[in-house]
Amino acid sequence: MKTLRYSLAALTLIGTVHTAVAADTLDIVVPFAAGGATDIVARSFEPVFSQQMGVTSVVRNVAGASATVGTAEVADNEGNPNIIGYEPAGALTIQPSLKNLPYGPDSFTYICRTVSNPMFLMVSKSSDIESFQQLADASQEYPFLYGSSGPGTLPHLAMAALVANSDLKAEHVPYSGSGPAMNALAGDEIQVMADTETILENYDLRPLAVFADQRVEGYEDVPAIQELGLPSMEFAVWQGVVAPQGISEERASQYAEACKETLESDHFLEFAERAKADIAYLGPDDFKAFVQQRFEANQQVLRDTGLMQ
Amino acid sequence: MSTSLIRPRLLLALALLGVGAGLSVAAWNGPSDAMLVPRVVLSIWCLVAVLIAVTELVKGAPTVALSFSPLPLLMMAVLAAALAMKHIGFLLPSLPLVALTLWLFRVRRPLPLMLATTLIAGGLWFLFHHVLLIRLPSLLTSGVV
Amino acid sequence: MDVILAAVGDAVAWKVLVAIVVGTWAGIIIGGLPGLGSVVGLTIFLPFTFGMDTIMSMALLIGVYCGSVYGGSITAILINTPGTPQSAATTFDGYPMTQQGRVDEALGWATFASFFGGVLSCVLLIFCAPQLARFAVNFGSIEVFALVCLAMLCIVGVSQGSVLKGLLCGMMGFVFSMVGSDSITGADRFTFGSYALSSGFDLIPVVVGTFALSEVFMRLADRDDKAANIPEASLRFPHPREILRRLIELIRGSFIGSFIGALPGTGAATSAFISYAVAQKLSPRRSRLGKGEPDGIIASESSNNAVTGSSFIPTLALGIPGDVVTAMMMGAMVIHGITPGVRLMVDQAQTVYALFVVLIIVNVAMLVLSKPSIGLFRYLFKLPRGYVMAGIVMFCFIGAVSVRGNPLDAVVAALTGMLAYALRCGGYPLAPLVIGMVLGPQLESSLRRGLLIERGDFLGFFTHSGIATTLFVLIGLFLIWTLWSSLARRRAGPTCRSDLSHSINR
Repeated sequence: MKTLRYSLAALTLIGTVHTAVAADTLDIVVPFAAGGATDIVARSFEPVFSQQMGVTSVVRNVAGASATVGTAEVADNEGNPNIIGYEPAGALTIQPSLKNLPYGPDSFTYICRTVSNPMFLMVSKSSDIESFQQLADASQEYPFLYGSSGPGTLPHLAMAALVANSDLKAEHVPYSGSGPAMNALAGDEIQVMADTETILENYDLRPLAVFADQRVEGYEDVPAIQELGLPSMEFAVWQGVVAPQGISEERASQYAEACKETLESDHFLEFAERAKADIAYLGPDDFKAFVQQRFEANQQVLRDTGLMQ
Repeated sequence: MSTSLIRPRLLLALALLGVGAGLSVAAWNGPSDAMLVPRVVLSIWCLVAVLIAVTELVKGAPTVALSFSPLPLLMMAVLAAALAMKHIGFLLPSLPLVALTLWLFRVRRPLPLMLATTLIAGGLWFLFHHVLLIRLPSLLTSGVV
Repeated sequence: MDVILAAVGDAVAWKVLVAIVVGTWAGIIIGGLPGLGSVVGLTIFLPFTFGMDTIMSMALLIGVYCGSVYGGSITAILINTPGTPQSAATTFDGYPMTQQGRVDEALGWATFASFFGGVLSCVLLIFCAPQLARFAVNFGSIEVFALVCLAMLCIVGVSQGSVLKGLLCGMMGFVFSMVGSDSITGADRFTFGSYALSSGFDLIPVVVGTFALSEVFMRLADRDDKAANIPEASLRFPHPREILRRLIELIRGSFIGSFIGALPGTGAATSAFISYAVAQKLSPRRSRLGKGEPDGIIASESSNNAVTGSSFIPTLALGIPGDVVTAMMMGAMVIHGITPGVRLMVDQAQTVYALFVVLIIVNVAMLVLSKPSIGLFRYLFKLPRGYVMAGIVMFCFIGAVSVRGNPLDAVVAALTGMLAYALRCGGYPLAPLVIGMVLGPQLESSLRRGLLIERGDFLGFFTHSGIATTLFVLIGLFLIWTLWSSLARRRAGPTCRSDLSHSINR
């Protein structure tokens, strides 16, 4: 009996070690909790991507501190070929200017940008404001309040830039996410909000302008910010894949290839269609330049609006 | 007076007062908008801690006799394992921690001790890390251990 | 009508039923294990839903969610350690009942109250979702502030042994929640320049340390004491006559939970505390609350499970997730091609009705599965205590590090465990620490948002809206009542302090 127990224990041990060694998995870090807007895109991206790479992969949710904890985790893994991050715009291009972080825009090997959705300026459908001019005029007497999904997020930045560069008078009220902000908009606690098409479509909202240089397909009657006689303001919610620095060039190009293939796959296209995510592929070099450009532009906005000392 | 000061309950109240006071300094030095509520909360903290310390002083609760207890050992082990997890992964620190916990709770025969350690630390780690794919901190870059 | 029939057909397909049973049972067990809560449970099951159809994956996730909210009460009652923060209020009366040898009764009430709350909130969801959603929209920051103030008064109620010590623990929890970025300005608070602290303390590691780890430490002291064994538990449902006698408590708890669930951004833990605070004022047996009174379990469990149903109200009616968990469900819906939002009820009526049916079946499944689940926990807790304690330590660590994937959360759990042990020895009630941590951030952010909205005028809060004025008047009455009754008690004679303390009675 005793020997049987011993051998059982030994077998379990061997089994454990064996399975453990056989598995060589790619960790895909998502810097938000499971089920969030970024997470679901990442989770739809992951199966095709790992198939292209020929590895098994795991989505790891490392949430906290405006997505910087997960991003720092990727940057911290220098030279590790088994970790990539599925990153939102804010963690790469806004937070490094606001906080003292262990990473900066130069701490990554850029793989690709996956999706990008322009942001709209919107009001509740129940309000009688139909155009930006009306909005700006109505705000003169008593400043409006605009919501955001937190301080230093893209909705905050876009509105802050708009207020700084136009006649619109409005003050910021941050919420803990787009959902609570939408509730506040529905209850007329706030009057204006900047967010993406997904939000616009899901709730009873009216777009007044789009934060892009041209009008956007599907919203041909929504003017671009420039048409309103304002300086160009480009704000979009985008996501991309980054790897830590110090990985081999071969691995990097393997990632880039797999990413491109994934974005062209039927599975992902179908998902993007349903989730209203606009696929906007940028290769490694373009993506790197894009992040750098956005980082500088956002820093300028933060300086202009006094959010950054 | 000097003997009554080493009463644990009083010391605890004083320690909490000290922490509250220390944090208050940080709160009053910080930006006034972000620190508005912390200042109020910490003022209540300090006030209440003073009141508790006074009550404990007046009440004169019994002092405890010092005796050998394995508790600090377990506490230190838990803390050490928690600190080690970031650097050497989940599995390695949890094996000795589980073994120690079992030992302290009087599971001391070698076979049950070994088996239970493997099963509780190794088994749960394997279940979550590899089967359910809830990634726990890992030692190797490949995430295997 | 055809739509409803088709929806029922969708929901009772065998695949869906299997998903419900698996999800609910797994949920109960995950919820019951200290450290693992709803979020970890859903994270485990989310990847499995990718290969399933919509209804089936919703059934699995709803099962896990409802099951975990109920499961937390099992360990709360058995070992004074809430399996999830949502069940923290269940320990107030659940554990004293266990100590009095009434564990079967306590589990019976917890199970029945969970079922009752879950079903009642489903009924409300089905018939009054649009109305409730419209009403909830009127609850802006200022109204939420008033509501949270009301809930904060719960701290006074649950620390009758020593109100001062309770208050101090409440403030401690509040300060814990402030560490990290400020939610309004984004400035770092109490981080002392350390990047590791800038992400703040998550609720789960703190709850795990406060209750589970400190319990392990406590039990090490009396490890040879046979009397401190975990009792043999089984389940005894309350007698129908008893249920009728406490029906009003069940209904009140369920309504409070249903309503709080409909407000975005509050959640089950908040509602359990509010419901308990209200029971302390309105229950006919309020003098026994905290000493092993089923009304306390009913207040907590009926309202936290009522949140599970009604948190779908803002999700379905407005597309706004009620809490972290419904946000996760919305994510799963999007993956399956359902876009939550204002038009969901119109565009996807069949799916929505099927969801309602699934919710009701899940609650029935919870009632049926409660017996085998409690049996499993009884079996686990019958093992030599060393195995149980080592297992609890492991689950604490797994729960702490996996809730947001940060290994430093294990350190937070270990340190709070040590702090909580010291506090217990000093006679401090621990629950206020969790209350402060749950309600603190809501209190602060709603206050400061309210100040932004009222342009810095705090007096404007009282006249902001009819609802706000009503709530503030209620708080005033509440305070007067508490003061008056404590004065009356003092005049009636000295109270016995020793038997009022609870949850730290060892």
